[in-house]
Amino acid sequence: MPGGQELLEFSDALLGPDKDRMDQARLGVEDALGHQGVVAAAAIAATFTKNDRLANGAGIPSELRMLRNSKEIRHELGLNNFRTAANTIRHYPDEM
Amino acid sequence: MSFYADSKYPVRSDLDAVHEKQIDQLGDPGTWGTAEQRLAVAGEIRQACYDAGVQEKPDDPGYESDIELPEAARELIRELTLEPQGFNEESYNAARSGGLSDEEYVEMIGIIARLTCMDVFARGIGVPLRPLPEPRRGNPSCKRPASAKKEHAWVPTVPNLPEGGDDAKEMFGDLYHPYIMRSVSLVPDEMDRHRELENIQYLPMEKILIKDYEHHEGFTRAQAETVAGRVSAINECFY
Repeated sequence: MPGGQELLEFSDALLGPDKDRMDQARLGVEDALGHQGVVAAAAIAATFTKNDRLANGAGIPSELRMLRNSKEIRHELGLNNFRTAANTIRHYPDEM
Repeated sequence: MSFYADSKYPVRSDLDAVHEKQIDQLGDPGTWGTAEQRLAVAGEIRQACYDAGVQEKPDDPGYESDIELPEAARELIRELTLEPQGFNEESYNAARSGGLSDEEYVEMIGIIARLTCMDVFARGIGVPLRPLPEPRRGNPSCKRPASAKKEHAWVPTVPNLPEGGDDAKEMFGDLYHPYIMRSVSLVPDEMDRHRELENIQYLPMEKILIKDYEHHEGFTRAQAETVAGRVSAINECFY
C-alpha cells in the first residue's frame, strides 16, 4: 500500500511526545502521499482520537454483529487483551 | 480568512469551517455547563497535554479560565485525555461519586473527545493549537432526552428505534446508530457535534460499508483504516 509505513510512523509520532519525530513523520507522509495525504492522515487520526475516548469513556460494548464477525482476527491480533475489552466481555462473555 | 490559513497543507473548506465553529462553540453555554466551566474544562485538557509533552503551548492560547474545577472533574479530564487505555468503570464511578452527574459527565467526555480531536489534527498538520474563545453569557439548556436509559454503556443512552421513540426519530432519523454514535446521546448537542466531526473528517455514516469509498481525495479506504487502526490500537480501544 503506498505510504503504509509512513502512515504508521505518522500515527505513532502524532500521539507521542517527540516533536522532532512528529515533524519528520509529517514530512515522510508528504513525500509519500503529497500535501493532501498529510491532511487526510491528520483528519483520520483526529477522528479516532475522539472515538476512542468516547468509547472508553462511556463504557460502550461492541455490537454483537461486529463481535461475531471478528472472532478470528481479534485472536490473531490480540485485541481481546485490550483493557477496554472488559466493557464488552461483561455483556457477551461467550462471544469472545 | 480560513481557520487554518497558516497551514502549509491546504485544508478542505468544509473541514476548516467545522473546526472553526466547534472551537468557537466552546465559548457558548452548554447543556449542563456554563461557558466559563466548559472553557475551564478545555483549559485543563490542554494543560494536561502540555504537561505530558504531547502538545506544545501556542504563543496565543486564547482565553484562559481561572475558575477551579472540582477534583473529580480534573481527574476525569487528565485520565481520559492522557490515558484512555486504562480508563475503566472505576474511573467512571470515581467521577460519579466525586459529584458529577451522568449528564455533566457525558458533556465533559464529549468536550474531551472533541477538543483532543481538533488539537491532534492541528499537530498533525503542523500548526499551533487554535486559541480558545472568550466565554459568552447565558445559562445551560439542561435538555435531557426523556427516552435516555441504561442500556449496555455505563452512562444512559438514547435507544435506537422503535424503543427510543420520538427522541430517536429526531436524533437518528431512520438510520440505525451503533453505540459509538449514541455514546453521548444523553447530551444531544454533544452527539450532534461528534457526528458532525465524524462526517467531515472520516466519512458519513451511510457510506461506512462502501469499501472503496474515498472521503479524502486520493486517500484510499485502506490508507484511512491503517491510520484508524493504529491510533485505536495505541489507545487500546476494543470497540
